[in-house]
Amino acid sequence: MKKHSFGSKLFLGLVLLVLYLPIVVVVVYSFNDNSTRIPLAFTGWTTRWYGELLDGKGGYGPALLLSLRVALWSVLLSVIVGSLGAVGMTRSALGFRGKPGRFERFMEAFSILPIMIPEIVLGLAFMVIFNALGVRDNVARLVLAHTTFCIPYVFLSVKSRLVGMDQSLFDAARDLGAAPPRVLWDITLPLCRPAIVSGAFLALAMSMDDFVISFFVYGAGEGTLPLKIYSSVKVGVSPRVNALCSLMIAAVFLAVAVQRYGQAVRKAREKKAAAN
Amino acid sequence: MKKGLSLLLALALAVLALPALAEGTVNVLSWEGYVDEDTIQAFENETGIDVVWSPMDSIDDMLLKVTQSGGEGYDLILTSDYSLDILRQAGLLQELDKSLLPNYENLNPLYLNQYFDPDNQYVIPYVAGCPLIVYDPERVSFEITGYEDLWNESLTDSVACLEQYRVLIGVTLKTLGYSMNETDPDILAQAKEKLMPLYKNIRTFGDMEAYAAMQSGEASVGFLFTPFASLIMQEFPQYKLVYPKEGLGFGIDGFVLTAASQNAENAHAFLNYLMDAKVAAHDAEYQAYMCVNKAAEAELSDDYWTNPAYNPPEEMLKSAEYVMNIGDAESAYADIYAAFKLQ
Repeated sequence: MKKHSFGSKLFLGLVLLVLYLPIVVVVVYSFNDNSTRIPLAFTGWTTRWYGELLDGKGGYGPALLLSLRVALWSVLLSVIVGSLGAVGMTRSALGFRGKPGRFERFMEAFSILPIMIPEIVLGLAFMVIFNALGVRDNVARLVLAHTTFCIPYVFLSVKSRLVGMDQSLFDAARDLGAAPPRVLWDITLPLCRPAIVSGAFLALAMSMDDFVISFFVYGAGEGTLPLKIYSSVKVGVSPRVNALCSLMIAAVFLAVAVQRYGQAVRKAREKKAAAN
Repeated sequence: MKKGLSLLLALALAVLALPALAEGTVNVLSWEGYVDEDTIQAFENETGIDVVWSPMDSIDDMLLKVTQSGGEGYDLILTSDYSLDILRQAGLLQELDKSLLPNYENLNPLYLNQYFDPDNQYVIPYVAGCPLIVYDPERVSFEITGYEDLWNESLTDSVACLEQYRVLIGVTLKTLGYSMNETDPDILAQAKEKLMPLYKNIRTFGDMEAYAAMQSGEASVGFLFTPFASLIMQEFPQYKLVYPKEGLGFGIDGFVLTAASQNAENAHAFLNYLMDAKVAAHDAEYQAYMCVNKAAEAELSDDYWTNPAYNPPEEMLKSAEYVMNIGDAESAYADIYAAFKLQ
């Protein structure tokens, strides 16, 4: 293990501080016992906001559920479209012609367009299209729009994984008699799994986070969590939002911890098996 | 791993298969929390009508969305004066049925017949406010009487200022003796020249930031909207509040009924409820704005009557000036403000 200099440790510390201080502030303020109209000063500790949140005050529960619902659908659809698209495009480019042709290059640029276009333009465009087509259902509108900007994250992630992969793996599978669907299912997709998972999580974060596109696409209703929170600009954000965000942060930390623990356990088991 | 994944999938499916909304509703488009949730709850309990509050963040985005979609899906929109005017002129509103609004007579005539609704056909005013100056007499060596004093050399780096370019340039125009809604390029050039040196006096920009700077004592002078000014005066009664001698700026937020409304009757019921004297008094105080309901005045607390931010002299209110929709000239204001902020 290489020893790090004091300077690099200091730098790391500062970066971590800048990254995590806002999160710490959010969590600390979720316990702020200040019930004035605009609670800026920290006046003491309370768990009242958590209690009110669990009582359903402010309606953040339905907003969070809507956000999750839209995010899960969008991730599901964008994983299917994005990874199949990446596989298909890499295959046609590498499998037969050796290097990407003009069509592939055009398609690749075209497919990441949704994250290059300004959000407000995309949002307005979606709104006009959905209204013209008579798509009324809020969830359907949100899912279609979110899927569009989620696909590039999955596509890019899977594509970059595929490009770095040894082509002979697929040739060997074909050579051993596997039909193309089986190659896809047994070889390509398992090899791409880390890329699909990381693309999916990125897409999940983007969908949960989106405000601008959701605002224009969304019809009447209580809205997703970001819509509701941004809409509090006029009268100030309730400390219940801090409580909710703290719970979400806790859930994410817990999930990561469990995943890490599972990984460690599996590694230890493998080591043991190897030793035997 | 397999187990975890299937559990995750099961959870995901449970979330995906949720039921839709019920009927008997009124859809309101506005800022989250702009009507107290307790008030909404009480209305829902009393009438059985479900109030669905659709979120918006900025007036500009709201206008874009509503004008593009014809306001479909929304019954009521609660927004500010100039945008009410734009919605009315775009023909997106429907006339209110006063026979369904017995509490309409509770409203203070001072806030009716405004330019955005000259014949009182469309708008139910909800709250009103002005940009005001608040200062700590201990730390300011002279008496502030108007906007002009914000330029005073002794106030270097000590003014907390709201972030609304139309208002800031508007009061600059007022110090020069012009209207807040000038469109003449020569006059705007004068305003720009006047505004530029104000920069060195300003410590913080932003509505909430300015409030925070006043509350922590970081700034000794605040140029703030009514709700923030009133909260500061409540917390620091020793501070002074100024009704600027050049004249007040002014704004009203109000409800309008969309032409596309599917639940007009429920919408009227909600509006009528909000105009009830007790309810209106509670909401105005809760939102820390000026109350526009005459009948509610008997219900307002002493805190309201003793707080100068809520009680500008009526004479000044009558001559107060709105920031209006000026169409394309708006971009000239935006340019001035950009130059001001970037110096």
